[in-house]
Amino acid sequence: MRRVAVIGVGVTKFGLHDRTSAELFADAAGDALTDAGIPASAVQALYYGNVVGGETEHQLHTGPQAASVLGIPSVPTTRFETACASSHAAFRHAVMEIGAGVSDVILVGGAERVLNVSTAESTEYFAYASDAVWEQPLGLTFPGVFALIARAHMEKYGTTEAQMAAVAVKNHRHGALNPKAQFQKQITIDQVLRSAYVADPLKLLDCCPFSDGGAAVVLASEEVARRHRKPVWVLASAAASDWMLLGDKRDLARVPATERAAAAAYRQAGLGPTDVDVVELHDCFTIAEIVATEGLGLFEPGAGGRAAETGLTSLGGEVPVNPSGGLKAKGHPIGATGAAQIAEIVTQLRGEAGPRQVDGARTGLTHTLGGNTATVLVSLFGRD
Amino acid sequence: MTEPVITARAFFERARAGQLTAVRCGSCGELAIPPRELCPACHARAWQPVPLVGEGTIASFTVIRVAPRSHAADAPYAIAVVKLQEGVSILGRIVDIPLDKVAVGLPVRFRPLGARDQTSIGFGPLG
Repeated sequence: MRRVAVIGVGVTKFGLHDRTSAELFADAAGDALTDAGIPASAVQALYYGNVVGGETEHQLHTGPQAASVLGIPSVPTTRFETACASSHAAFRHAVMEIGAGVSDVILVGGAERVLNVSTAESTEYFAYASDAVWEQPLGLTFPGVFALIARAHMEKYGTTEAQMAAVAVKNHRHGALNPKAQFQKQITIDQVLRSAYVADPLKLLDCCPFSDGGAAVVLASEEVARRHRKPVWVLASAAASDWMLLGDKRDLARVPATERAAAAAYRQAGLGPTDVDVVELHDCFTIAEIVATEGLGLFEPGAGGRAAETGLTSLGGEVPVNPSGGLKAKGHPIGATGAAQIAEIVTQLRGEAGPRQVDGARTGLTHTLGGNTATVLVSLFGRD
Repeated sequence: MTEPVITARAFFERARAGQLTAVRCGSCGELAIPPRELCPACHARAWQPVPLVGEGTIASFTVIRVAPRSHAADAPYAIAVVKLQEGVSILGRIVDIPLDKVAVGLPVRFRPLGARDQTSIGFGPLG
């Protein structure tokens, strides 16, 4: 495989927008191309993530539509849908296409628009990522999926609601340093614990918001990337899947797809968890961050809650997690999330993250989880 | 060709009659619920239906308070992963147990739920 680098990134502000998802993507992609310093004519393919366009915007065929709105209609374009991990899956395939020598420059990104519909509607559409025969008829929601995981983690390891709240407080503290974040306001443990239950034991402030937004990154072969001021190298990109049904998961307190994707990524890069300086991971719910830090090998199984509570994952801590504010505070436009996480790690490794910069970060990791933990992508990044 | 015994339709026909059914692999003995085409343990395609007792204990649960649009009228309601006596687990709606009495380890019994002409999986009190 040829070496592949990220040479440009762009992210819109996340939150409420009066623009279509294609417009949000195009905005981010324009910024990413400017950042890369290459003309749009250099782009040889678009790999695009979008999830509920059919439901919220009555829009399928979102790949070429996004390319048209951007103004590069003639490049081969493919939409990826792996629920919340869609644009990270798109990224992995672009890495492989450049690595294989098929293309030299690929635009990867994603976007989502959901705040144009009600919470009851978006809750229903997101639940389409659980099984339509065996789970949706029961009224399962995504907070419900992670509530079942949270309860299992609490039973098995003694994880507490206060430890979960510590994740929300930390990510809001980081988000307050990110001008693109949906929430740039600090919160307290008490506020989290006193917020209303959405799906016991998860409360409103344990949950990431619904968000509109777009994100894009420009990938290039080593030959092209060498001409760029600060290429960030893709050291690994790995995917894993798991059973769809919650009843089929042998141990709800763990996410085997995270463990398998992480093992594959570490093997590809010849690195281990202790080599990672900064992490952007999938904190769709506070418990999801705790379980992910364990599955990535940053902490032992069962130790993730305590790690969050004692500040090990804060900026300035042992291994800063979600300096962007994470899905929790930065926001979670699901099709854009994977690309936005990659954009943050690239910004961190370039040393351009301003007040949320992790000092001296050389190696970064992104982790994106799809739906009911049945899809996980893990990628590793390094700088020269 | 897919044997009718392992279709979701066959499963829910039995469920509607009150019988929770798994499938056992004729090659390696693995038990699975719900049914699937290949045995996940040995990849054989030799299932036999196995009636289950329908009793188990709650492995994990949640109370859904913000529901999808299609279930908004039911909220709040409890959903649980139930570990069945035979060792396999399945997700179901908890019914006829007060929400504050639902707990990990609580014994429950299968009962079919009917809504919108569709049978789904429920669990109620054992007694």
